[in-house]
Amino acid sequence: MFNKKRIELIIEKPAFKRACRVFEECGVTGYTALPCMAGYGNGKRWQRGTDLSASRDMVMVVSIFDENLLPKITEQLENLIGSHIGVLSVSDVKVIRDDKF
Amino acid sequence: MSLDLALSTILSPIVLFFVLGLGAALLRSQMSVPEAFAKGLAIYLMMAIGLKGGVEMSKASLGPDIFILAGAALLLSFLLPFLAYYTLRLSSKMDRINAAATAGHYGSISIVTFVAATQALQLAGILSSGYMVAIAALMEVPAIISALLLARRGLKKNGEVAGSEKGELFREVMLNASVVVLVGSLLIGWMTGETGMEKISPFFVTPFQGVLCLFLLDMGLSAGRGLRQGWRDLNFGALSFGIYMPLLSAAITAILCKALSMSLGDTALLITLAASASYIAVPAAMRLALPKAKPSIYLTLSLGVTFPFNLTLGIPLYILLAQWVAS
Repeated sequence: MFNKKRIELIIEKPAFKRACRVFEECGVTGYTALPCMAGYGNGKRWQRGTDLSASRDMVMVVSIFDENLLPKITEQLENLIGSHIGVLSVSDVKVIRDDKF
Repeated sequence: MSLDLALSTILSPIVLFFVLGLGAALLRSQMSVPEAFAKGLAIYLMMAIGLKGGVEMSKASLGPDIFILAGAALLLSFLLPFLAYYTLRLSSKMDRINAAATAGHYGSISIVTFVAATQALQLAGILSSGYMVAIAALMEVPAIISALLLARRGLKKNGEVAGSEKGELFREVMLNASVVVLVGSLLIGWMTGETGMEKISPFFVTPFQGVLCLFLLDMGLSAGRGLRQGWRDLNFGALSFGIYMPLLSAAITAILCKALSMSLGDTALLITLAASASYIAVPAAMRLALPKAKPSIYLTLSLGVTFPFNLTLGIPLYILLAQWVAS
């Protein structure tokens, strides 16, 4: 088993493509995006599909990558969630195939 | 006669279905229209209204009046956000960024309000021009530029947001679904004319009213949910802005229509367009351009306050105003 880093970024849908570009430009080998159903934050509940513009929807982007990419990615994503609504978390994970990440 | 018209508009199935959705959402009903289906309905309605407008345009000869009207509509859409910005700042003490983002919504238009107004006019036997659909499409964009100009003074220069791409805002503004579908359908309707429309009318003409009812049921649910989630972010001054701003825009546009000697139907539609607020194209653009602005403020106002007001009381009022101006 090999040690890797995993980022979970929950970000507002309009900025989701910006987040994807950050991951790609930082050199990760892959990421997965999932639609978020509903949530609670800042004392307010939200749920997807409230309006046609989808500007209140949230998306979760998950990526697993090598530890040496972490400073660059977190710096960029910190900048992104400094402007957009979002939550970023980093965790340690173990993977079976080292060459895939 | 005028009151009959107002009453028949308010008690039409499309408005009543909207009220049903609004009431259900405010009472926390679990009823919902599947998201993808609602988006499909929106595309269908924009295609239908675009095609209809295009066919009407193919039958009429387009004179210089249309270009004057287009110029006036563009100017109106560009200038109304400035009025909205200062009145909102004055009445609610809202900060610059949120006031600018909200003002942008009030210069742009709501195509569903426009569709509802055309239905109300049809019900009253008042004719309007097909090219008003093109005018609606033109009025989607200039207000976004005004909002950005207004917000620029309130923004600190923090550099570019990570992941931004050159041209992404332009694509969002100029190539958003409502502009593409509306303008595209208008051109297709214009090119194919009545012959083309005959072939697709069983899909785009006959079921139109029923689909509109279904769509407005969903819009009622959206408006109710938006109002329930966002009203805490708004003070009385901001909430009242959602009602007085459309009336202010309507009054200014009525004067403009009088100056341009427009027909009754077109006057009613231009007043409705100016009085409506965007909740599809502008919110998406604002999230990219002004991410610090709170969607809970501008969406609650445009979708939760102004849209229900326009659909229930606004449209009959605008038709009455148009009758008064055109008489």
